[in-house]
Amino acid sequence: MTEAVAGNRRLTPEAKLYLGLFARYATIIGLVAMIAVFSLLSPRAFPTLGNFTNVLNQASLAMIIAGGLTLAVVVGELDLSIGFAASLHGVLVTGLIVANKLPIPVAIAIVIALGALIGLVNGIIVTKVRVNSVIATLGVGTILTGLAFAYSAGVPIVAGVPEAFLQVSLGRWLFGIPNNIVIMAVVLGGLWVLVERTSLGQEIQAVGGNPAAARLAGIDVGRIKTLGFVVSGMCAALTGVLLASRLGSGTTSAADSYLLTAFAAVFLGSATLRDGEFHVLGTLVGALIIAFGFNGLNIFGAPTFSQYVFQGAILIVAVGLSSLGRAVAES
Amino acid sequence: MLAPQSPRAADAVPLVEAEDVAKSYGGAHALKGVSLSIAAGEVHGLVGANGAGKSTLIRILAGLTRPDRGEIRVEGVPVDIATPHRATELGMSFIHQELAFIPGMTVLQNIMLGIPKASRFGMVDWRAAAREVAPIAARVGITAPLSASVKGLSTAENWLINICRALVRKARLIVMDEPTASLSASESEKLFAIVEDLSASGVAVLYVSHRLDEIQSLCDRVTVFRDGRSVARLSRAQITRPALVEAIVGGAVEHLPPAARHPATGDVVLEVDGLVRLPKVKGVTFALRRGEVLGLGGLVGAGRTEVARLLFGADRLDAGAMRLEGRPYAPRSPTAAVKAGLGLVPEERRADGLVLSKSVAFNLQLSNLARIVRSPALPLIDYRRREALSLKTVRDLAIKTAGIETPVGRLSGGNQQKVVIGRWLLRAPKVLILDEPTRGVDIGARGEIHKLIRALAAEGMAVIVVSSEPDELPDLCDRVLVMAEGRIVRELSGEAVSRNAIVEASYAEAAPPAERSFA
Repeated sequence: MTEAVAGNRRLTPEAKLYLGLFARYATIIGLVAMIAVFSLLSPRAFPTLGNFTNVLNQASLAMIIAGGLTLAVVVGELDLSIGFAASLHGVLVTGLIVANKLPIPVAIAIVIALGALIGLVNGIIVTKVRVNSVIATLGVGTILTGLAFAYSAGVPIVAGVPEAFLQVSLGRWLFGIPNNIVIMAVVLGGLWVLVERTSLGQEIQAVGGNPAAARLAGIDVGRIKTLGFVVSGMCAALTGVLLASRLGSGTTSAADSYLLTAFAAVFLGSATLRDGEFHVLGTLVGALIIAFGFNGLNIFGAPTFSQYVFQGAILIVAVGLSSLGRAVAES
Repeated sequence: MLAPQSPRAADAVPLVEAEDVAKSYGGAHALKGVSLSIAAGEVHGLVGANGAGKSTLIRILAGLTRPDRGEIRVEGVPVDIATPHRATELGMSFIHQELAFIPGMTVLQNIMLGIPKASRFGMVDWRAAAREVAPIAARVGITAPLSASVKGLSTAENWLINICRALVRKARLIVMDEPTASLSASESEKLFAIVEDLSASGVAVLYVSHRLDEIQSLCDRVTVFRDGRSVARLSRAQITRPALVEAIVGGAVEHLPPAARHPATGDVVLEVDGLVRLPKVKGVTFALRRGEVLGLGGLVGAGRTEVARLLFGADRLDAGAMRLEGRPYAPRSPTAAVKAGLGLVPEERRADGLVLSKSVAFNLQLSNLARIVRSPALPLIDYRRREALSLKTVRDLAIKTAGIETPVGRLSGGNQQKVVIGRWLLRAPKVLILDEPTRGVDIGARGEIHKLIRALAAEGMAVIVVSSEPDELPDLCDRVLVMAEGRIVRELSGEAVSRNAIVEASYAEAAPPAERSFA
């Protein structure tokens, strides 16, 4: 890539500076440009407070699960179990409320604790048994899918879901802001503080940056990596709960597709502001790009398949731009 | 300051010339204007402190980066080396410190990598390739069969394979970057013979090294870089150690007086009794006192690094026991060792010591995080404290950096090492272990690091220094333990600590004298 750019012509230092800046801000520029274009094309439907709230509300679940995934990738691992886990958690929380008549907060607490436990299992398999995280979490995720089918026999739990559970996701608390958005803001804010502003966050970043150096600096690398999986698992559980609440049912496989969206958001985020580093703020930007893109395509009545094409293409373009810019900066 | 060119170079068009080449990265000038002229068949030395610009010039010659200004000429013709492929076409070959092979392939396949091969019926004719390569392999002294896998070959053999690859590609200039850094003495001797043989057959060698004795004995001419400029060109007769050192440093070198060796009188901090971890450590016993700088000397493979790893909890003991301040000490991990009060400055600072993409402050505070948070219950980082402590360390250690938020990967080797040492300074461990503290560090920074280590000991820290450089331990240590074959074979203290005594002890007690040496 260095050759492709630097090889064909000499770049002046100014050109390099601008290309470097472009690489860092390309995703943000893209987001702003996309919003601008959609606003111009559809001035009545798109740029309204109602639509923006709607987009954020829709995207909140993906942002939460992607925020959790960010922790797993920051410590240098991948968590492919999150989508399957969220599906299981959705089925389970509905079942606990409908079949076991547990109070809603208790059911949610149990499911989120289970999410942490699944993360712990992922972490132990990866750090103690030393199974590659792609394989470990794919295996665990597949097992979880099996458990979800075993629990519900593949039949969605619909009947008897109390209105109060639906309100967890559909309700509006402060100033009429949808609960989903409030919960998302709290979770992502918390994750940002954890990674960027605490001593634990410094250790997390060190483990992701150079595990060997982190270990010799006295950091317990296995513990930190496991923590990444635990956070990822808890966020997946929360997403599963909110999805079940929004759908009003516990459906196996309902949240599976969040895996892809979360990865797209996280990798788009790595191309934002920092050269190829994963971070919470970047993930937020990545998730917004995907959300507004989908929304725009919907408004213009684009066929469903185009959403997949959009999601795949934007990911490749953004990450490609970022690594190209980095190569320029380093040449 | 430029010396007149030697007659050998003047009577013909130079093979490769660089004229007034400049290059900057971001705002930093890596090269401010260097000139270099290499004649066909000569061994040309390139020396300079870390950060002087040697690597940048090599990257430019190799087609890995483009100069901002200046001209490169091959046999008098200006060339534009846009890609590594173009560099190969021009007859230049590069052997780096980190050698890159494809591990699953054979010696022959690695040698022929990227070289057009004869084919038979559309398939590669490996027999023809082997016929072509065999005489060259024999000439450079590759003993492994061409059909052997490169996995498990020694660093020295990897070097030979690389040289062979260069010759198969008909290289006219081979650039060797710190060739002897990981070779033993006898392996180095072999390499020197090959370099001379290459030179005699008309292949030029650009020899980049910190080791001035090698430069002195091998090179026909030497170019010295300092701060991105070529400051001296010495011909054979002018290549003396003082002349090289003066050109590299650009002024008088601060000579640390040999350690005023104190017989250590402080309390015993660390007691080590009968440490065993087979196969490398076979029974090591010593005591370390507060305020003492203890050297671990010996040949490569004597077991010194392994002892350091045991002390730091990176490996488990087979037998033996340790006591730290009188209490049993059995670290299960480096984390436990750090908690107990040990610190380690590892040999490979880039790989094991630093998070290169992160800032100087980030790396400095990595083992000190508990002390820069607002409260243990709410571990939010106190950024004012972080900044103040980082700035103080940068100042105290004279770390040359644009700022504390500069990525540590942009610092020179010596300054990176200071960051690793500074990290432990902030934590103030009871015992600090330094493994090869000045490897790959330039002469000026080396003196500063030595002074720093002595200052730490003077403040009461107990320090263990592992070093393969024969001169380093006498400069630095109160007491030296010489290891051979996994055991301590001699203890030297006071007047008895000298380069010769260490070397003599290392060799005297080592069993078969086969492949072992300093370096």
